Amino acid sequence: MRRFDCLTAAATLVTDQLVVTNNGGASTEWAALGPADSHLQVKTLGLCSSIGLGLALALPRRTVVVFDGDGSLLMNLSTLATIAGRRPPNLVHVVFDNGIYEASGGTRTNTAEVRAGTDLAAMARAAGIAAVHAVSELAEFSDSFVGALDGGGPTFIHARVEPVRQKVPPVSVDEVENKYRLIRYIERTEGISILTRPIPASQAGRS
Amino acid sequence: MGETGDPSDAELIRDGILAAGVTHVASLPDINLVELIDLLEHDERVVHVPLAREEEGIGIAAGTFLGGGMPAVLMQNAGLLNACNALTTTALQFEIPMLLLVWYAGHLGDTAFMRLGEVTEPVLRALGIRSFVPADAAAARSLIPQATTLSRQAMRPVAVLLTKAALRRSAG
Repeated sequence: MRRFDCLTAAATLVTDQLVVTNNGGASTEWAALGPADSHLQVKTLGLCSSIGLGLALALPRRTVVVFDGDGSLLMNLSTLATIAGRRPPNLVHVVFDNGIYEASGGTRTNTAEVRAGTDLAAMARAAGIAAVHAVSELAEFSDSFVGALDGGGPTFIHARVEPVRQKVPPVSVDEVENKYRLIRYIERTEGISILTRPIPASQAGRS
Repeated sequence: MGETGDPSDAELIRDGILAAGVTHVASLPDINLVELIDLLEHDERVVHVPLAREEEGIGIAAGTFLGGGMPAVLMQNAGLLNACNALTTTALQFEIPMLLLVWYAGHLGDTAFMRLGEVTEPVLRALGIRSFVPADAAAARSLIPQATTLSRQAMRPVAVLLTKAALRRSAG
């Protein structure tokens, strides 16, 4: 199973969910497949699940999908306990485990069988996350992802994938534009105002 | 409330956090922050997120802001150092406001972690994050909303450093 095939399947299922991607292949591949305005491309290794948790807590009626990686999750393992502690039902945490630091040159992570064979699904379960799925076939991935989008989370999907990266077009937005597009999308679709700024005293009308 | 019926220092700071419009507080305890964290945990006006490492808190705060909330991260300055990469490559790189409420270990009145005290403000300056040290809890009460407004206007984190002078009187 390849990450790109999973993301291709996910793209047929995602509608108004917010999608947060790990820096690396998940970001560029989802940028090529999914809606642009609801997609945040994280730049800090390890932090995508934390950002997704913050979004899920701020918007409890909105489903938030995180596409994470094994190297990233290993860097921020405490996120599993923190997510389990708050139990946001609207958070779907998918980890594509290819056993390597793909974006950093392909060095193996400790999830690789030839290293420690660290079991991220078992770690999520042990952290207290109730809905944990471990999948290695595309049909299994799709089934678990469809179920997760229905709620009842937090859901953790551990997807074993081959260490291959799809060739996709370069990403066209920088971090600040990415942020504003996401905020405007949330404002538009939630009917809320996020970026309200007071009028400077020098420009305020006299009453 | 304190012994005299006046609010405790932690209550004053909690009032500042609420007056600032903060909706979500992620925290990791320092012994000096326990009363404040307990107040926030039991206050229905804010969502409290207990952390296991402070760098997570910067991510949670970023997501909170993007989702329309106003975030604060409450931690010791050791945790601020743990959070430096997330502050740089998430909060600063994406230009996301958040209030950093930091127990200032190694400052006057504290008896541990002197090295932490020495590096805290230089590290914040190097990151380009403005910081303020209120003289006492009453000053913190009025400074926290102002610092939060500054953060929103500047679209970057702002730090309020809490010393023993600002968190001296506990609940009676």
